[in-house]
Amino acid sequence: MIICCEMSVPDDLTPEEQKELENIRRRKQELLDDIQRLKDEIAEVTSEIENLGSTEERKNMQRNKQVGMGRKKFNMDPKKGIQFLIENDLVKNTSEDIARFLYKGEGLNKTSFILTLSSFDSSYRRNFLWSFRLPGEAQKIDRMMEAFAQRYCQCNPGVFQSTDTCYILSFAVIMLNTSLHNPNVKDKPTVERFISMNRGINDGGDLPEELLRNLYDSIKNEPFKIPEDDGNDLTHTFFNPDREGWLLKLGGRVKTWKRRWFILTDNCLYYFEYTTDKEPRGIIPLENLSIREVEDKKPNCFELFIPDNKDQVIKACKTEADGRVVEGNHTFYRISAPTTEEKDEWMNSIKAAISRDPFYEMLAARKKKVSSMKRH
Amino acid sequence: MGSYYSLIFSRLFPKKQITLLMVGLDAAGKTTVLYKLKLGEVVTTIPTIGFNVETVEYKNISFAVWDVGGQSKIRGLWKYYYQHTEGLIFVVDSSDHDRIETAAEELKAMLAEDEMRDAVLLVLANKQDLPKAMPVHELTDRLGLHTLRGRQWFVQATCAVQGSGLYEGLDWLSDQLSRR
Repeated sequence: MIICCEMSVPDDLTPEEQKELENIRRRKQELLDDIQRLKDEIAEVTSEIENLGSTEERKNMQRNKQVGMGRKKFNMDPKKGIQFLIENDLVKNTSEDIARFLYKGEGLNKTSFILTLSSFDSSYRRNFLWSFRLPGEAQKIDRMMEAFAQRYCQCNPGVFQSTDTCYILSFAVIMLNTSLHNPNVKDKPTVERFISMNRGINDGGDLPEELLRNLYDSIKNEPFKIPEDDGNDLTHTFFNPDREGWLLKLGGRVKTWKRRWFILTDNCLYYFEYTTDKEPRGIIPLENLSIREVEDKKPNCFELFIPDNKDQVIKACKTEADGRVVEGNHTFYRISAPTTEEKDEWMNSIKAAISRDPFYEMLAARKKKVSSMKRH
Repeated sequence: MGSYYSLIFSRLFPKKQITLLMVGLDAAGKTTVLYKLKLGEVVTTIPTIGFNVETVEYKNISFAVWDVGGQSKIRGLWKYYYQHTEGLIFVVDSSDHDRIETAAEELKAMLAEDEMRDAVLLVLANKQDLPKAMPVHELTDRLGLHTLRGRQWFVQATCAVQGSGLYEGLDWLSDQLSRR
């Protein structure tokens, strides 16, 4: 800047022009300083962003994100999903660890079914929730039943005389389910055949006939259920939402109030026409939005809006009646809750969802700081 | 009228349903065989939890093919299905030189079951498209088929992925079974 001040002033200028030139030069210098300051600021922010990787919070976020990705991969291709989780050190490559992940993993797309076995103590039935997709290949069923039997006998000692008894019976039950309920099987076995099939499986002895009859009847009356799950729906996204419930939403173009089922999860607000809908009618990413209470004819209203930007359309999408997905047309989303309490709860949850991402929070703080420095 | 005649016809000559079992080591290609045979048919039913079973209509015979298998401990259970079995389809991976002996033992054990006494045997020498695939005559030797006594058997070279050879195998089966 010293060099700058020492720069020569051409002699053929009027005093006014000389003063003007000086002014211009001073302002130029100020701007250069500003640019330098911003550059420093950016460098600082960049290094902070890079260092974020080392903080515990960031690590956890990263991990959760990767687990989420692993889940999605698993739902598309179980093998690849597991491989991804192992490669990223999220799951150890041991059967116990993988089993734990599969067992605990919420959001996993499992074709679960309930295996009902009445226990030896036939006074009550035991229900096992089997939470894995059962394949149709005999060898795979065999391995799964064996593993199941081992675990079951470990957890319920004394029910079966040996693990093998449990394993063979489980296998027989799957066979029975196939015979009775697969339309391709014309020859339906009778209860007598089921009983004779299972002769001698209890370490050479027989299982009580009453147990086998009960099993036969229960499977005949009701096949193992497969919960609807085609692997393509968004259902897993909506497991364990931050909040869900009925709210009224004001239309974007047509200003009418529509009752919608709202789900708040993953920093997004989803709304559905019915609670049972698989596909949302609309998706509102909460990123860059703010929330405030508003007065309306409807009670308990709040709205989502873009701060400092009155007429900008909020980035969102919705599904038209004909199934097309189009961009949303709201400059604000006005929502009415049934009660004051619910309004407060929704507002708090949405606020928390908006600011949950520490990365955005930090950037926002930085932005503020930079702009205030500029002003001074 | 046409449908009336066909109704009468089908009552007089009901389509025979034949139960076939399909066995083989894992990764031999059983599932591919099963679903390749079904190709082109619309599957509308919700899959039943349990074993893969498919019915294949071919040459006025309806085959119900069960994918069976598992360890020897549960072989006792399958016996009740063997009783009604007229044919055994044994699928073997022709390129798996390491496990051909294991496959031979599996086949031997299966045929030794009393209930399989009258079942005809169709061996599908699968994965013929792979470079190291054993030819039919070598497989026949290594599976010990020449030592079988009193059994109708046939080895068909297949490539289930492409679907080649499968219907030739069924041709042989339906020939054998319609003679009974």
